[in-house]
Amino acid sequence: MDKIYLENVSYIYGEGTPFEQTALDGVSIGIRAGCITGIIGHTGSGKSTMMQLLNGLAAPTSGKVLLDGYDVNTTFEDVFDAWKSLPEYQNLSKSAAKKAIRTEIRRRRKELCFRVGLVMQYPEYQLFEETVYRDIAFGPQNMGLSEEEIRARVLEAAAFTGVDTDWLEKSPFDLSGGQKRRVALAGVIAMRPEVLVLDEPAAGLDPRGRDYIFDGIKRYQRETGSTVLIVSHSMEDMARYSDDVIVMANAKVLMHGPCEEVFSRIRELSDIGLDIPQITRVMTMLKEQGFPVSEEIYTVDAAVEELYRLLVKGKGGNAT
Amino acid sequence: MKSVTFGQYYPAESLIHRLDPRTKVLLALFYIVCTFLCKSLVSFAALVASVCVLVLLSRIPMRLILRSLRPILFIIAFTSLINVFMTKGEHLLTPENWAVKIYAEGLWNALFMILRIMVLIVGTGIFLTYTTTPIALTDALEQLLSPLKKIKVPVHDFAMMMTIALRFIPTLTEETEKIMNAQKARGADFTSGSLLARAKALVPILVPLFVSAFNRAFDLASAMECRCYHGGEGRTRLNVLRYRAIDWVMMGAVIALGVTLILLNSCSFGFVLG
Repeated sequence: MDKIYLENVSYIYGEGTPFEQTALDGVSIGIRAGCITGIIGHTGSGKSTMMQLLNGLAAPTSGKVLLDGYDVNTTFEDVFDAWKSLPEYQNLSKSAAKKAIRTEIRRRRKELCFRVGLVMQYPEYQLFEETVYRDIAFGPQNMGLSEEEIRARVLEAAAFTGVDTDWLEKSPFDLSGGQKRRVALAGVIAMRPEVLVLDEPAAGLDPRGRDYIFDGIKRYQRETGSTVLIVSHSMEDMARYSDDVIVMANAKVLMHGPCEEVFSRIRELSDIGLDIPQITRVMTMLKEQGFPVSEEIYTVDAAVEELYRLLVKGKGGNAT
Repeated sequence: MKSVTFGQYYPAESLIHRLDPRTKVLLALFYIVCTFLCKSLVSFAALVASVCVLVLLSRIPMRLILRSLRPILFIIAFTSLINVFMTKGEHLLTPENWAVKIYAEGLWNALFMILRIMVLIVGTGIFLTYTTTPIALTDALEQLLSPLKKIKVPVHDFAMMMTIALRFIPTLTEETEKIMNAQKARGADFTSGSLLARAKALVPILVPLFVSAFNRAFDLASAMECRCYHGGEGRTRLNVLRYRAIDWVMMGAVIALGVTLILLNSCSFGFVLG
């Protein structure tokens, strides 16, 4: 079953003002459970907006966002309908009932944030505590966990993202940019969300920093079986790490499917101006030069294998 | 979103929008003087007519102008009530034996006061906030105040500070929103609990906000130094402000309005303030 399902979702910024802008236009899409799904698209294609809808930070202008089949946006009426037949509710005065419903909505929203962990772009700017440990513990603390449980989760999250144990008592402001990014990621992973949503998690990092981040995410996904969504414009990273890929363009979903399937339509992707992986370009050029290589190569590892195959075969036959 | 404009500036193509910002600052000052020159009913009528003409010239929707009056409704109501009940005059309107005495003069005073405040707000709004961007306004103030440089007032530096502050208000707003969302995503709650709990809940927003604001300030300072910024001395501008014919015409028109208002004060129809 789909972990997340967007049902005809539209999102319009500044509706009814001269600045009106459609960020999502009637999007219907299901995200497979326990997979890494990459979302690619240009800036302004609606991918970042989609992220914010998933944990209820923003509500869609129309349509529904379903998590495990339940609408993530609780309205006053929803709670009222669920409660109106309960005797405890009927005994409340009108104002007390209203207040109780508001509290319930807030509780559900909070709970949703813990289930769907959102890592925003440049998350290192959200660090605020005196020590790295306390910053990672912020999320679990808000969940109301016990001190031991918090400690266990902080250490677990730190291990996932490659946060050294000797940093834990340091101030987060003394770390480098890449290290801060890992701490911020740990702060969300510490809540052990079933769905982890990341907006450009590797933007502005050096190759080593990228590997740390992506390997950490991959390990978290594999060990906990959670669903991961990564927004990125780097096809290379998506080809390497994701199972499914969604391509967004002009507030709509253009393609959606397993990684290989989407990348096999690479021509179309480069037609809408998305960068295709460098290694794929190399292979295409080789093919144009007359080498019998497959064009459906998206990662360096696959390319090494393909070239190796070609060389071994080349030895047996005529050398080119 | 980024497209949200700061302040009340309303982008449009109109005569008033095209005026030099310095002219608009001066006109706003003249206009304030004009509102205080009025003393008779006739001159007030002329003043209200002039403000209507200005509204039409500026092409600003009426609903925006009415909205700008909403925050001062209370002040208007309060001052006019005081005027009605506290002014003493010769023409008593209420019966002799009432404890509360209302005089005709009080009613006139209140009416004039209401008109004066409303015209003041609408007039300055049209010349300054609605039709001039904050940046243009600081530019204009810098140039108008430049004679003060003679007595060593750092006019340019103040203007630069204003410009930078205005430039960063939208940036900081956006950043606050981002940080708030990030902390909400980690389960932070800003809306419930005691006053103390709510104040504490602001720490996760304020700390990152201050850190990034300071970093931004340092970056901007080094960027300015890299481009050899050394204050206003000998600095030329990208957009040179120039008075055009229309600026002189408008200034002439408002001065003429002032003179007319003074002349109309002697017209005793209705009521004339003492």
